Amino acid sequence: MNQARTNQARTNQASVSRSRIRQGLAAIILAAAAAASWPVFAHHSFAVYDRTKTLTLKGTVKTFQWTNPHCVVWVLVQPEGGGEPQEWSIETTSPGVLTRGGWTRNSIKPGDRVSVEFNPLRDGSHGGGLNSVTLLDTGQKLSASFAASEKPS
Amino acid sequence: MTTHCFRALLLLSMAPAAFAAAEKEPINPPPTLSDWQAMAKLPDLGGVWTPLISDQVAQERTNPPPWKPQIAKQVEHMYAEEKAGRPFPVIDHCFPTGMPSYMLITHNAFEILLTPGRVTLLGEGDGNRMRRIYTDGRPHPQDPDPSFHGHSIGHWEGQTLVVDTIAVLPQSYLAVNEAVGVPNNGDMHVTERFHLLDAHTLADDLEITANKLLSKTWKTTRKYIRQRAQKFDIVEGVCEQGSYNDAVDKDGNAIFAPIKFHNGVPVGSDAK
Repeated sequence: MNQARTNQARTNQASVSRSRIRQGLAAIILAAAAAASWPVFAHHSFAVYDRTKTLTLKGTVKTFQWTNPHCVVWVLVQPEGGGEPQEWSIETTSPGVLTRGGWTRNSIKPGDRVSVEFNPLRDGSHGGGLNSVTLLDTGQKLSASFAASEKPS
Repeated sequence: MTTHCFRALLLLSMAPAAFAAAEKEPINPPPTLSDWQAMAKLPDLGGVWTPLISDQVAQERTNPPPWKPQIAKQVEHMYAEEKAGRPFPVIDHCFPTGMPSYMLITHNAFEILLTPGRVTLLGEGDGNRMRRIYTDGRPHPQDPDPSFHGHSIGHWEGQTLVVDTIAVLPQSYLAVNEAVGVPNNGDMHVTERFHLLDAHTLADDLEITANKLLSKTWKTTRKYIRQRAQKFDIVEGVCEQGSYNDAVDKDGNAIFAPIKFHNGVPVGSDAK
């Protein structure tokens, strides 16, 4: 949809090229289309991830983002065919929910060797929604779950 | 002497007008001991609650809103898009979830504070998810500014907190999940009855009248689970912070560095 809007804006711009005022208007439309195609906000439905598929990757933690509304484990994965490590962004729920599941902001540290199990993005991009992360040096497995929230405490 | 008398008379004549003006300006009076003692008789709604998400899902399936036909088409499209992995961005903007979605679809905890003349709901995870419910007997303002959570007044009927909310921003969604929701488009009225089902379960019986969206008033209930464990204490939630990673600039100062997003999800730890 965003691409369609961008194309429409380009068409608009071409058809009004002789009018400065209308050029200005087209520029505004283009800017709006660009903004719409570049959402930079962190909160969203996890339906973007393909829950019918589960991938497991081993790699090294680049950084662990412990922020609301969603935490992210950034993992560097060595491609099978060699070459530079590729960065994967594996997203999970909020610090509050994770805390209640036994996590802390120090549960995962840069440099940790991990295995991450996740539902991937549908377009093959290097991202996914986390199911669990296993610290390979200790064997500790951390899961993302709302289960604790469904029971009184 | 005559001048003094005149001034005194003038002051006397002005005093009632000034007094009347002061009376018209409402204040929040300091709570009295009896106000606090009365609080002890209220039901134990205070503290942290987590939404019963499994019941949200069940409610979504068994008791959907009575959408008007043209709205139902939008909703049907959103469900199809969600199924196809292209969820409609109900909550992507980092604005407050807003009323009534705050109560209907949240996955995050909230805290209830009871104080004389006020009930306050403080949310977690989405930042600025705060509801102020005035229980001091005031009416709604005649022309309130619309806001994400609207203007709420409440009163106690026995052990039940009855809340009336108007003036919700028309952009605020009436949502049934994080990917399916329609802006209320104005002219919405929400009444709620908060009451304990048992010591551990809070129910919010909602009646939502949204004339632009619904063919009749929608009655639905959401449940919340009591959390006394301190690990459930509410943590600060600033949604926009999730768009950044911690970083250090060239001068050694701690800064936030934007991360890269595509179609609403993070795809790079550094946007550069």
